[in-house]
Amino acid sequence: MSSTSRARLGEEVWKTRTDKINAELVTLTYGSVVAQLCKDLDGDYAEVNKQLDKMGYNIGLRLIEDFLAKSNMQQKCANFRDTADVISKVGFKMFLNITPTIANWSSDSKQFSLMFDENPLADFVELPDDGKAQAELWYSNMLCGVIRGALEMVQMQVDAHFVNDVLRGHDTTEMRISLVRYIDDEMPADDE
Amino acid sequence: MNRDTSPFRPASTGASPTPKHASLTASTNLRYSLTRKSIYDRHLNRTKTSELSKSAFAFLFGEMVQHAQKKVYGVQDLEKKLNQHGYAVGQRFLELLLWREGRTAKRETRILGILQFISHSLYRAIFQKPADTLEKVRENEDEYMISDNDPLVNSYISVPKEMSQLNCAAFIAGIIEAVLDGHCFPAKVTAHTAPSDMWPGRTVFLIKFEPEVLEREGLRHGST
Amino acid sequence: MPADWDIWAVSDWVTKPGEWRNEVMEEGPEELSTGSRKRERKKRRQARETGFKCSALLCSEPRPRCCRWYHIVAMVVYAVLILNKAGGLIFQRDFNPGLQKLTSNDYLILAGTFHGVHAITSQISPTNETGASGLEVLESENFVMRCFQTLTGTKFLVFAEPRQPNLDVVVRRVYELYSDYVMKNPFYQIEMPIRSEGFERHLSAYIKPHQ
Repeated sequence: MSSTSRARLGEEVWKTRTDKINAELVTLTYGSVVAQLCKDLDGDYAEVNKQLDKMGYNIGLRLIEDFLAKSNMQQKCANFRDTADVISKVGFKMFLNITPTIANWSSDSKQFSLMFDENPLADFVELPDDGKAQAELWYSNMLCGVIRGALEMVQMQVDAHFVNDVLRGHDTTEMRISLVRYIDDEMPADDE
Repeated sequence: MNRDTSPFRPASTGASPTPKHASLTASTNLRYSLTRKSIYDRHLNRTKTSELSKSAFAFLFGEMVQHAQKKVYGVQDLEKKLNQHGYAVGQRFLELLLWREGRTAKRETRILGILQFISHSLYRAIFQKPADTLEKVRENEDEYMISDNDPLVNSYISVPKEMSQLNCAAFIAGIIEAVLDGHCFPAKVTAHTAPSDMWPGRTVFLIKFEPEVLEREGLRHGST
Repeated sequence: MPADWDIWAVSDWVTKPGEWRNEVMEEGPEELSTGSRKRERKKRRQARETGFKCSALLCSEPRPRCCRWYHIVAMVVYAVLILNKAGGLIFQRDFNPGLQKLTSNDYLILAGTFHGVHAITSQISPTNETGASGLEVLESENFVMRCFQTLTGTKFLVFAEPRQPNLDVVVRRVYELYSDYVMKNPFYQIEMPIRSEGFERHLSAYIKPHQ
């Protein structure tokens, strides 16, 4: 499947097969989740990042089924570049109605960045002015977990983390994703 | 009510404890991106009509419920947690809504007025539909009910039998509570499952006003 | 379309995917009165304009060009089974009489055995590319079983009357319902048996009217 037809697929799924709701409800709900974590963990932002990632991971394990069912994808991606394309053009499109740009491929095609021009989760957000949050908190860290969890279910172990965030005063919002390995559990016949 | 100690303020800062410009003075430690616009540069109506997928919300909400479940004792405690989340969302929605109404915004001073505002304007803004009914509880002077045949947050949720008392729409109850509080109509709002044949997920929000609200209502408008 | 089907039906255009009604027609399309032909045309126009889907079970025509008459009503789905990644049975429900009831232990064995056979048949496939599928259809004199394995390894098995075309459409729809009412339910634990009232309700609503 070519890159343009994927873009078309993403567009089609978003338009015809997606129930939609008010974006601000999602934004504010996410905000409430992060704020609650910050409060519960007493401003330990490293731990907040970890929790967000974990919650995202749990979501990813489930979200992948919704993604596959709605997008009707039945073929595995041929390579990691394809995977990146699908994540951006179909995945992000159908859940968050954005298409982050893929950039900065490593020479071995195992690492890339997603550049977020728009980030619906972070509309309305300014990090706390406590001299700490801007250095430590990755506000949208849940997204990393989602990608990690979802790809794990389709036999890819990846590492995902933010390297830049506009909320921290950077010029871009950038997530780095690297392929650790393909999980070979195709044949469970031998185990147990 | 100091339930909102969240570090994140809503973008519209009319009632925020620190005036908006305070964080833009030289004393701020926050860094702002030079190329990207901060929340102060963006129009607040930018996201007024934008949409996201219901699935995205369902997963987020589901995870919120699961996460809340880990640290609670019993159903009531869980509902309280969800109510608190809703409360935080409600406070911000109210600000947005009133700001958007602009000059036509009016301050509701009567119980019926504020309840109608909730079941119509607020409900429509958040869920794109009005609430299904608004009733007064006959036996109790201070209780009202708003019902929703199919609360959005519950669309995909099936509560297990052993927790049958739970209704995750406690989240919406929190939103309603925040809006009532914001209008100085302090009340307790709880969500109850009240299924009908057509609507297995029908939910009733029971609103119980604090005594001072009724007292004021009586003073200002004569007894009702 | 086999000629000997004697029940013809016109499916109504529906306002929501997943819902449908139908009217049984005595004669074929030619004998339609002007009135009903007009009604049909109107339905089709509405469907074109609004992009409503034809959700008729057996309709595989590209929407919304979908056929008018020939949705056969005599569709019987006997049972639906769902297997988790490890081949454990996490859901089993009978919808229509037609299969003998097995003991719950036998269902588990059936699931495990099929899981193993499926794994081996996907190995045996001569095309060596990734995603080669294993066994998809099992047919006997009295039933046909269709298997659909998702990319995550979950399997959906649908048992139906023999010679049912387009069972894959049914299976896919079951998958969609699963992704909505099982995966989005925070009280469901992944890989565990499914006890979700919403899933059961929507699944029955989808499968039952097609008797």
